[in-house]
Amino acid sequence: MEIEVYGDEEYGNGIYTKLFDEIMSDLNKAYLIDRVKLVLKPSTPLFVFSIVLKAEPGSKTIADVANVREEAGGVHVTITQERYAPDILSALWARYGRGNVVQQTRFDLDVTNAKLGEMSEMVVSSGEEDKKEIMGAIWRTMPEGIKNRRTLMDGNTITVVATEEILTKEMLDEGRQVHVSMGGSADV
Amino acid sequence: MFEVMMYDGGIYRSEELFEIIEDVGGVVLQKNRSSQMLSVVMSIPEEDREAVSKVCTDIGGVVKSVPLAGTEIAVVGPTLGRHHMPHPICDIAEELRRYGSITVVMGLARGRGKATAQMSAEERAIVDEYDAAIFVMGNFKTCVESKAELLRDVHVPVVLVSGPQPEGVDDTCEAIVSGVGRKASRMRTPPERDKLEEIADTMEAVLRDKKASLEEDPLFVHPAEVKQILENYEPINMCLRPAPMVLHLDGLRIKIPYSEHREYLENVDVYGRRLGDVAYISPSRIDDSSIIIRIKTRSQVADEDRLRA
Repeated sequence: MEIEVYGDEEYGNGIYTKLFDEIMSDLNKAYLIDRVKLVLKPSTPLFVFSIVLKAEPGSKTIADVANVREEAGGVHVTITQERYAPDILSALWARYGRGNVVQQTRFDLDVTNAKLGEMSEMVVSSGEEDKKEIMGAIWRTMPEGIKNRRTLMDGNTITVVATEEILTKEMLDEGRQVHVSMGGSADV
Repeated sequence: MFEVMMYDGGIYRSEELFEIIEDVGGVVLQKNRSSQMLSVVMSIPEEDREAVSKVCTDIGGVVKSVPLAGTEIAVVGPTLGRHHMPHPICDIAEELRRYGSITVVMGLARGRGKATAQMSAEERAIVDEYDAAIFVMGNFKTCVESKAELLRDVHVPVVLVSGPQPEGVDDTCEAIVSGVGRKASRMRTPPERDKLEEIADTMEAVLRDKKASLEEDPLFVHPAEVKQILENYEPINMCLRPAPMVLHLDGLRIKIPYSEHREYLENVDVYGRRLGDVAYISPSRIDDSSIIIRIKTRSQVADEDRLRA
């Protein structure tokens, strides 16, 4: 993750680079982000946080994140991407009931009365949800009092323009410029 | 002169320690037992330090100096939100506890933001109940400088902790420590530990001044003596809240309801006087479940006696 920071205060710039990196890593979102640009103007106050994702988050099915094979009386699932394990379990419990889902090990599950085809197509994580989590992570990195926010989002680029009180046209224009410089569209 | 020190060791043979504290006329200020480990903060006469230290080492413990013992300090952050908690506020509170203080972590209701940050009169009154306060602010100089105005009406000594060194705010607080702003991880590296020590040392220096000013006009009775008198009062003795009696430099916080116990406390005998005559007894501003006792100075009591005569 490459982070560029522009701001009024040298101390704050250094700290926010570290804060952004730490918070995104803590929330397990750093691996999704390619580039970051932070504009910090506490004296205005205006904060623009713009990120470019490595790829646009898409929906993930069970087949994308686990190996699935048919067995006598049901289906055996071996989870290959650990971060989706809770989502897989929730989806299976909701669909087949807890009594039919037997977790043999951390990553191995036996699901009775299930069909391979329908299970493979079950969505465990939608792209929308990923984007929502990334937005939450960006808000967490911003200063707490900067509550008036506008989000610009298209393709892989997400930009948040935020201030404390009234978000003026000039502030929004500055946010749009940052959004365009990161590869986003000017029409969002 | 009484001296405060801490025993840190096992529970085994600890009754020998309590016996010698009693024999020399000392007071146990705080006792924490965790499994087989015990830490005891005690106030003992200076001349008996050596004898008490010997018992501590004989029973397998160590003696530590606790310069902030007998104080209760508030560590205040802009809010209790995840932006500011638990680091660095809890790290600072933990360090102060290592120095012997009782600490309380507080967040302001509307402390976030640069232009919109506020501190209500009630919040100020709550902070004023403590011996001193540490205000932890953020990473931007302009924000810290504008928020420092909130500290102007706080009456207890304040240490301001912030990322950059603010300018023009020296008159709003007793001391400023820079280099600690908003953080997302624990302060565990050697430079960060040094910074925590610097904050605690600064607080110690600030409270040393407060102690010196109290010595100029001493209290009618030392808070530790009032604690000793009240220790066997059943509601306090049976109170399950941690540290039911907390010492302040000029009094005590007692964690029992004011409305139910005011009358008893006012009539407690202290060197032939009613406690109500030699101290201000009031409910805590936090809620009715705690009582604040502020002991009057000798000159205040003498003055009141003169007026009454």
